[in-house]
Amino acid sequence: MDTYTEATVVLVDDEEMVLTSLNAYLTLETDYNVESFTDVDEAISFVGENEVDVVISDYLMPKMNGIQLLAKAKELKPETSRILLTGHADKQSAIEAINQVGLFQYIEKPWDNAALLLVIRNGSERTQLLRSLRNKILQLDEAHSNLKTAQSELIRAFL
Amino acid sequence: MTEQEQADLEGQVAELRSELEGCKTQLLDAHQMSAVGQLMASIVHEINTPIGSILSNNQVGARSLEMLHGLLEKAQAEDTSPPPKSTKILSTLLTLAEVDKIACERIIAVVRGLKTFVGGHGAEYVKSNINEILDNALKLAHCEYRRRVEVETEFGELPEVECEPHQIGQVFLNLLVNAGHAIEGEGKVVVKSEVDGEDIHVSIADNGSGISPEHQKKIFSTGFTTKAVGIGTGLGLAISRDIIEDRHGGSIGFESEFGKGTTFHIRIPVSRAADENAQK
Repeated sequence: MDTYTEATVVLVDDEEMVLTSLNAYLTLETDYNVESFTDVDEAISFVGENEVDVVISDYLMPKMNGIQLLAKAKELKPETSRILLTGHADKQSAIEAINQVGLFQYIEKPWDNAALLLVIRNGSERTQLLRSLRNKILQLDEAHSNLKTAQSELIRAFL
Repeated sequence: MTEQEQADLEGQVAELRSELEGCKTQLLDAHQMSAVGQLMASIVHEINTPIGSILSNNQVGARSLEMLHGLLEKAQAEDTSPPPKSTKILSTLLTLAEVDKIACERIIAVVRGLKTFVGGHGAEYVKSNINEILDNALKLAHCEYRRRVEVETEFGELPEVECEPHQIGQVFLNLLVNAGHAIEGEGKVVVKSEVDGEDIHVSIADNGSGISPEHQKKIFSTGFTTKAVGIGTGLGLAISRDIIEDRHGGSIGFESEFGKGTTFHIRIPVSRAADENAQK
Protein backbone atom coordinates (compact mmCIF):
# COMPACT_ATOMS: atom_id res chain seq x y z
CA MET A 1 0.00 0.00 0.00
CA ASP A 2 1.33 3.41 -0.93
CA THR A 3 1.00 5.38 2.29
CA TYR A 4 2.31 8.60 0.82
CA THR A 5 -0.41 9.56 -1.62
CA GLU A 6 -2.36 11.76 0.76
CA ALA A 7 0.47 13.92 2.03
CA THR A 8 -0.34 17.50 2.99
CA VAL A 9 1.90 20.09 1.35
CA VAL A 10 1.95 23.75 2.40
CA LEU A 11 3.18 26.35 -0.12
CA VAL A 12 4.14 29.86 0.99
CA ASP A 13 5.06 32.66 -1.42
CA ASP A 14 4.03 36.29 -1.55
CA GLU A 15 3.68 35.91 -5.35
CA GLU A 16 0.25 34.62 -6.32
CA MET A 17 1.46 33.45 -9.73
CA VAL A 18 4.07 31.11 -8.22
CA LEU A 19 1.42 29.51 -5.99
CA THR A 20 -0.96 29.09 -8.94
CA SER A 21 1.74 27.42 -11.04
CA LEU A 22 2.95 25.10 -8.28
CA ASN A 23 -0.61 24.22 -7.30
CA ALA A 24 -1.55 23.39 -10.90
CA TYR A 25 1.46 21.11 -11.26
CA LEU A 26 0.96 19.25 -7.99
CA THR A 27 -2.78 18.85 -8.61
CA LEU A 28 -2.09 17.40 -12.06
CA GLU A 29 0.64 14.97 -11.05
CA THR A 30 -0.24 13.95 -7.48
CA ASP A 31 -3.05 13.32 -5.03
CA TYR A 32 -1.49 15.59 -2.44
CA ASN A 33 -3.59 17.91 -0.36
CA VAL A 34 -2.06 21.28 -1.29
CA GLU A 35 -2.62 24.41 0.81
CA SER A 36 -1.26 27.73 -0.51
CA PHE A 37 -0.62 30.94 1.42
CA THR A 38 0.55 34.43 0.46
CA ASP A 39 0.28 35.51 4.11
CA VAL A 40 3.01 34.17 6.42
CA ASP A 41 0.91 34.37 9.60
CA GLU A 42 -1.88 32.33 8.07
CA ALA A 43 0.65 29.76 6.87
CA ILE A 44 2.18 29.42 10.34
CA SER A 45 -1.27 29.06 11.93
CA PHE A 46 -2.12 26.28 9.53
CA VAL A 47 1.11 24.39 10.22
CA GLY A 48 0.50 24.69 13.96
CA GLU A 49 -3.04 23.36 13.76
CA ASN A 50 -2.67 20.59 11.17
CA GLU A 51 -0.60 17.57 10.32
CA VAL A 52 1.62 18.87 7.52
CA ASP A 53 4.15 16.69 5.72
CA VAL A 54 6.08 19.29 3.74
CA VAL A 55 6.39 23.09 3.94
CA ILE A 56 7.82 24.90 0.94
CA SER A 57 8.56 28.57 1.35
CA ASP A 58 9.99 31.30 -0.84
CA TYR A 59 12.91 33.17 0.71
CA LEU A 60 12.26 36.79 -0.22
CA MET A 61 8.94 37.88 1.28
CA PRO A 62 7.75 41.02 3.06
CA LYS A 63 7.00 40.78 6.83
CA MET A 64 9.14 37.66 7.32
CA ASN A 65 11.65 35.85 5.10
CA GLY A 66 11.44 32.15 4.29
CA ILE A 67 14.14 31.12 6.75
CA GLN A 68 12.33 32.85 9.63
CA LEU A 69 9.09 31.20 8.58
CA LEU A 70 10.66 27.74 8.39
CA ALA A 71 12.29 28.30 11.81
CA LYS A 72 8.81 28.90 13.25
CA ALA A 73 7.50 25.82 11.45
CA LYS A 74 10.33 23.80 13.01
CA GLU A 75 9.32 24.97 16.49
CA LEU A 76 5.70 24.02 15.92
CA LYS A 77 6.14 20.74 14.05
CA PRO A 78 9.77 19.56 14.08
CA GLU A 79 8.96 16.45 11.99
CA THR A 80 7.63 18.39 9.00
CA SER A 81 10.14 18.54 6.15
CA ARG A 82 11.20 22.09 5.35
CA ILE A 83 12.10 23.25 1.82
CA LEU A 84 13.30 26.71 0.77
CA LEU A 85 12.78 28.19 -2.68
CA THR A 86 15.56 30.64 -3.38
CA GLY A 87 16.75 33.02 -6.07
CA HIS A 88 20.43 32.76 -6.96
CA ALA A 89 21.29 35.83 -4.91
CA ASP A 90 19.84 34.22 -1.76
CA LYS A 91 21.69 30.94 -2.21
CA GLN A 92 24.27 31.75 0.48
CA SER A 93 21.53 32.44 3.04
CA ALA A 94 19.90 29.16 2.09
CA ILE A 95 23.10 27.22 2.67
CA GLU A 96 23.52 28.80 6.11
CA ALA A 97 19.92 27.88 6.89
CA ILE A 98 20.47 24.19 6.23
CA ASN A 99 21.78 23.72 9.75
CA GLN A 100 20.10 26.71 11.35
CA VAL A 101 16.53 25.60 10.56
CA GLY A 102 17.22 21.98 9.62
CA LEU A 103 16.40 22.50 5.95
CA PHE A 104 15.56 19.30 4.13
CA GLN A 105 16.46 20.82 0.77
CA TYR A 106 16.74 24.15 -0.98
CA ILE A 107 15.61 24.66 -4.57
CA GLU A 108 16.79 27.44 -6.84
CA LYS A 109 14.36 29.46 -8.92
CA PRO A 110 13.36 28.99 -11.66
CA TRP A 111 12.55 25.53 -10.41
CA ASP A 112 12.33 22.32 -12.39
CA ASN A 113 8.96 20.65 -11.80
CA ALA A 114 10.22 17.06 -11.91
CA ALA A 115 13.11 17.81 -9.52
CA LEU A 116 10.73 19.63 -7.18
CA LEU A 117 8.31 16.72 -7.14
CA LEU A 118 11.10 14.30 -6.27
CA VAL A 119 12.15 16.49 -3.34
CA ILE A 120 8.55 16.76 -2.11
CA ARG A 121 8.08 12.98 -2.34
CA ASN A 122 11.30 12.35 -0.43
CA GLY A 123 10.44 14.99 2.15
CA SER A 124 6.97 13.63 2.65
CA GLU A 125 8.32 10.07 2.99
CA ARG A 126 10.82 11.25 5.59
CA THR A 127 8.12 13.03 7.62
CA GLN A 128 5.79 10.06 7.59
CA LEU A 129 8.61 7.72 8.60
CA LEU A 130 9.54 10.02 11.50
CA ARG A 131 5.90 10.19 12.57
CA SER A 132 5.56 6.44 12.35
CA LEU A 133 8.77 6.02 14.36
CA ARG A 134 7.54 8.42 17.03
CA ASN A 135 4.25 6.53 17.32
CA LYS A 136 6.04 3.18 17.53
CA ILE A 137 8.30 4.52 20.29
CA LEU A 138 5.24 5.73 22.21
CA GLN A 139 3.62 2.34 21.80
CA LEU A 140 6.80 0.61 22.92
CA ASP A 141 7.04 2.88 25.97
CA GLU A 142 3.46 2.09 26.86
CA ALA A 143 3.98 -1.63 26.35
CA HIS A 144 7.14 -1.48 28.43
CA SER A 145 5.35 0.39 31.17
CA ASN A 146 2.53 -2.18 31.16
CA LEU A 147 5.05 -5.00 31.32
CA LYS A 148 6.77 -3.44 34.32
CA THR A 149 3.45 -3.05 36.09
CA ALA A 150 2.55 -6.66 35.33
CA GLN A 151 5.99 -7.75 36.56
CA SER A 152 5.59 -5.88 39.86
CA GLU A 153 2.15 -7.41 40.44
CA LEU A 154 3.49 -10.85 39.66
CA ILE A 155 6.32 -10.47 42.14
CA ARG A 156 3.89 -9.23 44.82
CA ALA A 157 1.68 -12.23 44.18
CA PHE A 158 4.53 -14.62 44.89
CA LEU A 159 5.85 -12.87 47.96
CA MET B 1 52.92 88.29 -16.31
CA THR B 2 53.42 88.90 -20.03
CA GLU B 3 50.55 88.69 -22.50
CA GLN B 4 52.07 85.50 -23.92
CA GLU B 5 52.32 83.90 -20.46
CA GLN B 6 48.73 84.91 -19.73
CA ALA B 7 47.54 83.40 -23.02
CA ASP B 8 49.46 80.16 -22.25
CA LEU B 9 47.92 80.00 -18.79
CA GLU B 10 44.43 80.57 -20.17
CA GLY B 11 45.06 77.83 -22.74
CA GLN B 12 46.13 75.40 -20.01
CA VAL B 13 43.07 76.26 -17.90
CA ALA B 14 40.78 75.71 -20.91
CA GLU B 15 42.45 72.34 -21.53
CA LEU B 16 42.07 71.31 -17.88
CA ARG B 17 38.46 72.45 -17.89
CA SER B 18 37.75 70.34 -20.96
CA GLU B 19 39.49 67.35 -19.36
CA LEU B 20 37.42 67.83 -16.21
CA GLU B 21 34.21 67.91 -18.25
CA GLY B 22 35.28 64.68 -19.91
CA CYS B 23 35.94 63.06 -16.54
CA LYS B 24 32.61 64.24 -15.23
CA THR B 25 30.81 62.69 -18.18
CA GLN B 26 32.67 59.41 -17.66
CA LEU B 27 31.78 59.47 -13.98
CA LEU B 28 28.16 60.07 -14.87
CA ASP B 29 28.14 57.08 -17.21
CA ALA B 30 29.91 54.89 -14.65
CA HIS B 31 27.51 55.95 -11.93
CA GLN B 32 24.56 55.25 -14.18
CA MET B 33 25.78 51.71 -14.71
CA SER B 34 26.55 51.32 -11.03
CA ALA B 35 23.09 52.57 -10.04
CA VAL B 36 21.42 49.99 -12.25
CA GLY B 37 24.02 47.40 -11.18
CA GLN B 38 23.10 47.82 -7.52
CA LEU B 39 19.52 47.09 -8.40
CA MET B 40 20.57 44.04 -10.39
CA ALA B 41 19.87 41.54 -7.60
CA SER B 42 16.29 42.72 -7.20
CA ILE B 43 15.83 43.12 -10.97
CA VAL B 44 16.97 39.55 -11.53
CA HIS B 45 14.65 38.31 -8.79
CA GLU B 46 11.80 40.28 -10.31
CA ILE B 47 12.33 38.64 -13.70
CA ASN B 48 13.15 35.16 -12.34
CA THR B 49 9.83 34.82 -10.60
CA PRO B 50 7.56 35.21 -13.65
CA ILE B 51 9.99 33.12 -15.71
CA GLY B 52 9.67 30.32 -13.14
CA SER B 53 5.90 30.43 -13.51
CA ILE B 54 5.97 30.49 -17.32
CA LEU B 55 8.37 27.53 -17.41
CA SER B 56 6.27 25.49 -15.02
CA ASN B 57 3.00 26.43 -16.74
CA ASN B 58 4.40 25.46 -20.11
CA GLN B 59 5.22 21.98 -18.88
CA VAL B 60 1.93 21.58 -17.05
CA GLY B 61 0.13 22.82 -20.18
CA ALA B 62 1.82 20.26 -22.40
CA ARG B 63 1.08 17.43 -19.97
CA SER B 64 -2.51 18.59 -19.49
CA LEU B 65 -3.13 18.67 -23.24
CA GLU B 66 -1.65 15.18 -23.50
CA MET B 67 -4.04 13.93 -20.79
CA LEU B 68 -6.97 15.76 -22.32
CA HIS B 69 -6.19 14.26 -25.72
CA GLY B 70 -6.19 10.78 -24.16
CA LEU B 71 -9.47 11.35 -22.34
CA LEU B 72 -11.26 12.75 -25.40
CA GLU B 73 -9.92 10.01 -27.67
CA LYS B 74 -11.18 7.38 -25.23
CA ALA B 75 -14.58 9.08 -24.93
CA GLN B 76 -14.84 9.25 -28.70
CA ALA B 77 -13.87 5.56 -29.11
CA GLU B 78 -16.43 4.51 -26.48
CA ASP B 79 -19.02 6.98 -27.78
CA THR B 80 -19.43 8.51 -24.32
CA SER B 81 -19.37 12.13 -23.18
CA PRO B 82 -16.02 13.49 -21.98
CA PRO B 83 -15.42 12.76 -18.26
CA PRO B 84 -15.61 15.62 -15.67
CA LYS B 85 -11.80 15.55 -15.44
CA SER B 86 -11.57 17.01 -18.95
CA THR B 87 -13.48 20.12 -17.88
CA LYS B 88 -11.16 20.45 -14.88
CA ILE B 89 -8.12 20.25 -17.14
CA LEU B 90 -9.52 22.90 -19.49
CA SER B 91 -10.24 25.18 -16.55
CA THR B 92 -6.65 24.79 -15.30
CA LEU B 93 -5.28 25.55 -18.78
CA LEU B 94 -7.29 28.78 -18.93
CA THR B 95 -6.04 29.84 -15.48
CA LEU B 96 -2.43 29.15 -16.42
CA ALA B 97 -2.80 31.08 -19.69
CA GLU B 98 -3.92 34.08 -17.63
CA VAL B 99 -0.94 33.66 -15.27
CA ASP B 100 1.42 33.50 -18.26
CA LYS B 101 0.01 36.76 -19.59
CA ILE B 102 0.58 38.52 -16.25
CA ALA B 103 4.06 36.99 -16.00
CA CYS B 104 5.03 38.22 -19.48
CA GLU B 105 3.71 41.71 -18.71
CA ARG B 106 5.87 41.77 -15.57
CA ILE B 107 9.00 40.92 -17.54
CA ILE B 108 8.16 43.46 -20.25
CA ALA B 109 7.70 46.18 -17.61
CA VAL B 110 11.17 45.55 -16.15
CA VAL B 111 12.82 45.45 -19.58
CA ARG B 112 11.08 48.71 -20.55
CA GLY B 113 12.27 50.25 -17.31
CA LEU B 114 15.82 49.17 -18.10
CA LYS B 115 15.71 50.65 -21.61
CA THR B 116 15.76 54.15 -20.18
CA PHE B 117 19.04 53.41 -18.48
CA VAL B 118 20.91 51.59 -21.17
CA GLY B 119 22.79 53.46 -23.85
CA GLY B 120 22.85 57.22 -23.84
CA HIS B 121 26.59 57.72 -23.73
CA GLY B 122 27.28 61.38 -23.93
CA ALA B 123 24.55 63.92 -23.47
CA GLU B 124 21.89 64.03 -26.14
CA TYR B 125 19.16 66.48 -25.41
CA VAL B 126 15.87 65.36 -26.88
CA LYS B 127 12.24 66.31 -26.35
CA SER B 128 11.05 63.89 -23.69
CA ASN B 129 8.00 63.06 -21.66
CA ILE B 130 8.95 63.44 -18.00
CA ASN B 131 6.03 61.27 -16.86
CA GLU B 132 7.29 58.44 -19.06
CA ILE B 133 10.78 58.76 -17.58
CA LEU B 134 9.27 58.72 -14.07
CA ASP B 135 7.19 55.68 -14.97
CA ASN B 136 10.24 53.73 -16.19
CA ALA B 137 12.22 54.66 -13.08
CA LEU B 138 9.29 53.46 -10.96
CA LYS B 139 9.24 50.14 -12.84
CA LEU B 140 12.84 49.51 -11.77
CA ALA B 141 12.41 50.90 -8.25
CA HIS B 142 9.45 48.53 -7.89
CA CYS B 143 11.94 45.63 -8.05
CA GLU B 144 13.35 46.96 -4.75
CA TYR B 145 10.01 47.93 -3.26
CA ARG B 146 8.03 44.76 -4.06
CA ARG B 147 5.18 44.58 -1.57
CA ARG B 148 7.03 46.50 1.12
CA VAL B 149 6.56 50.00 -0.19
CA GLU B 150 3.28 51.30 -1.60
CA VAL B 151 3.54 53.78 -4.44
CA GLU B 152 1.01 56.53 -5.16
CA THR B 153 1.36 58.65 -8.28
CA GLU B 154 -0.24 61.91 -9.34
CA PHE B 155 1.01 62.75 -12.80
CA GLY B 156 -0.11 66.08 -14.20
CA GLU B 157 -0.39 66.93 -17.89
CA LEU B 158 3.11 67.88 -18.89
CA PRO B 159 4.52 69.38 -22.07
CA GLU B 160 7.54 67.71 -23.63
CA VAL B 161 10.82 68.91 -22.18
CA GLU B 162 14.16 69.10 -23.91
CA CYS B 163 16.42 67.07 -21.64
CA GLU B 164 18.80 64.13 -21.49
CA PRO B 165 16.34 61.34 -20.60
CA HIS B 166 18.93 58.81 -19.35
CA GLN B 167 20.39 61.32 -16.93
CA ILE B 168 17.00 62.56 -15.70
CA GLY B 169 15.89 58.95 -15.31
CA GLN B 170 19.00 58.26 -13.27
CA VAL B 171 18.14 61.13 -10.90
CA PHE B 172 14.59 59.85 -10.43
CA LEU B 173 15.76 56.27 -9.90
CA ASN B 174 18.35 57.43 -7.39
CA LEU B 175 15.77 59.37 -5.37
CA LEU B 176 13.23 56.54 -5.54
CA VAL B 177 15.75 53.96 -4.34
CA ASN B 178 16.86 56.30 -1.52
CA ALA B 179 13.22 56.75 -0.53
CA GLY B 180 12.85 52.97 -0.35
CA HIS B 181 15.96 52.64 1.80
CA ALA B 182 14.73 55.37 4.14
CA ILE B 183 11.62 53.33 4.90
CA GLU B 184 12.17 50.58 7.43
CA GLY B 185 9.61 47.83 6.97
CA GLU B 186 6.44 49.00 5.24
CA GLY B 187 5.76 52.50 3.99
CA LYS B 188 4.64 54.71 1.17
CA VAL B 189 6.22 56.78 -1.57
CA VAL B 190 4.20 59.50 -3.32
CA VAL B 191 5.35 60.77 -6.71
CA LYS B 192 3.78 63.87 -8.24
CA SER B 193 4.41 65.87 -11.37
CA GLU B 194 2.97 69.21 -12.46
CA VAL B 195 3.73 72.35 -14.39
CA ASP B 196 4.87 75.14 -12.07
CA GLY B 197 5.36 78.38 -13.95
CA GLU B 198 8.09 77.81 -16.49
CA ASP B 199 9.28 74.60 -14.86
CA ILE B 200 8.22 71.01 -14.56
CA HIS B 201 7.99 70.24 -10.84
CA VAL B 202 8.45 66.65 -9.71
CA SER B 203 8.21 65.68 -6.06
CA ILE B 204 9.16 62.35 -4.51
CA ALA B 205 7.97 61.96 -0.93
CA ASP B 206 8.52 59.10 1.51
CA ASN B 207 7.29 58.48 5.05
CA GLY B 208 10.60 56.98 6.10
CA SER B 209 13.11 57.91 8.75
CA GLY B 210 13.81 61.41 7.47
CA ILE B 211 17.17 63.17 7.40
CA SER B 212 18.66 64.44 10.65
CA PRO B 213 19.40 68.20 10.85
CA GLU B 214 23.21 67.59 10.98
CA HIS B 215 23.10 65.46 7.82
CA GLN B 216 20.81 67.78 5.92
CA LYS B 217 23.65 70.19 5.27
CA LYS B 218 25.88 67.48 3.83
CA ILE B 219 23.67 65.24 1.71
CA PHE B 220 24.63 66.80 -1.60
CA SER B 221 28.32 66.54 -0.78
CA THR B 222 30.44 64.17 -2.82
CA GLY B 223 31.17 61.00 -0.91
CA PHE B 224 28.65 61.61 1.87
CA THR B 225 26.60 58.56 2.70
CA THR B 226 24.76 57.12 5.69
CA LYS B 227 24.64 53.66 4.21
CA ALA B 228 26.87 50.71 5.11
CA VAL B 229 30.07 50.04 3.20
CA GLY B 230 29.35 48.51 -0.17
CA ILE B 231 25.88 49.99 -0.49
CA GLY B 232 25.91 52.93 -2.87
CA THR B 233 28.79 55.19 -3.73
CA GLY B 234 27.85 58.34 -1.81
CA LEU B 235 27.77 60.06 -5.17
CA GLY B 236 24.09 59.72 -6.00
CA LEU B 237 22.86 63.10 -4.78
CA ALA B 238 26.00 64.97 -5.79
CA ILE B 239 25.64 63.65 -9.32
CA SER B 240 21.89 64.25 -9.27
CA ARG B 241 22.47 67.87 -8.40
CA ASP B 242 25.06 68.16 -11.16
CA ILE B 243 22.60 66.70 -13.68
CA ILE B 244 19.62 68.82 -12.67
CA GLU B 245 21.33 72.12 -11.91
CA ASP B 246 24.43 72.25 -14.09
CA ARG B 247 23.27 70.24 -17.08
CA HIS B 248 19.60 71.19 -17.18
CA GLY B 249 19.45 74.60 -15.52
CA GLY B 250 16.95 73.30 -12.96
CA SER B 251 16.97 72.94 -9.20
CA ILE B 252 16.86 70.11 -6.67
CA GLY B 253 15.94 70.56 -3.05
CA PHE B 254 14.22 68.81 -0.21
CA GLU B 255 12.33 69.18 3.02
CA SER B 256 12.68 66.59 5.73
CA GLU B 257 11.49 65.90 9.24
CA PHE B 258 13.60 63.45 11.19
CA GLY B 259 11.42 60.45 12.03
CA LYS B 260 8.57 61.52 9.74
CA GLY B 261 9.83 61.51 6.15
CA THR B 262 11.44 63.41 3.31
CA THR B 263 10.23 65.08 0.13
CA PHE B 264 12.57 65.87 -2.73
CA HIS B 265 11.62 68.58 -5.22
CA ILE B 266 13.06 68.63 -8.71
CA ARG B 267 12.42 71.52 -11.05
CA ILE B 268 13.39 71.37 -14.71
CA PRO B 269 12.79 74.30 -17.06
CA VAL B 270 10.39 73.43 -19.87
CA SER B 271 12.64 75.10 -22.42
CA ARG B 272 16.36 74.95 -22.09
CA ALA B 273 18.38 78.15 -21.76
CA ALA B 274 19.47 79.77 -25.00
CA ASP B 275 23.16 78.98 -24.21
CA GLU B 276 22.84 75.33 -25.33
CA ASN B 277 26.43 75.12 -26.44
CA ALA B 278 27.67 75.99 -22.97
CA GLN B 279 25.72 72.99 -21.56
CA LYS B 280 27.27 70.57 -24.05
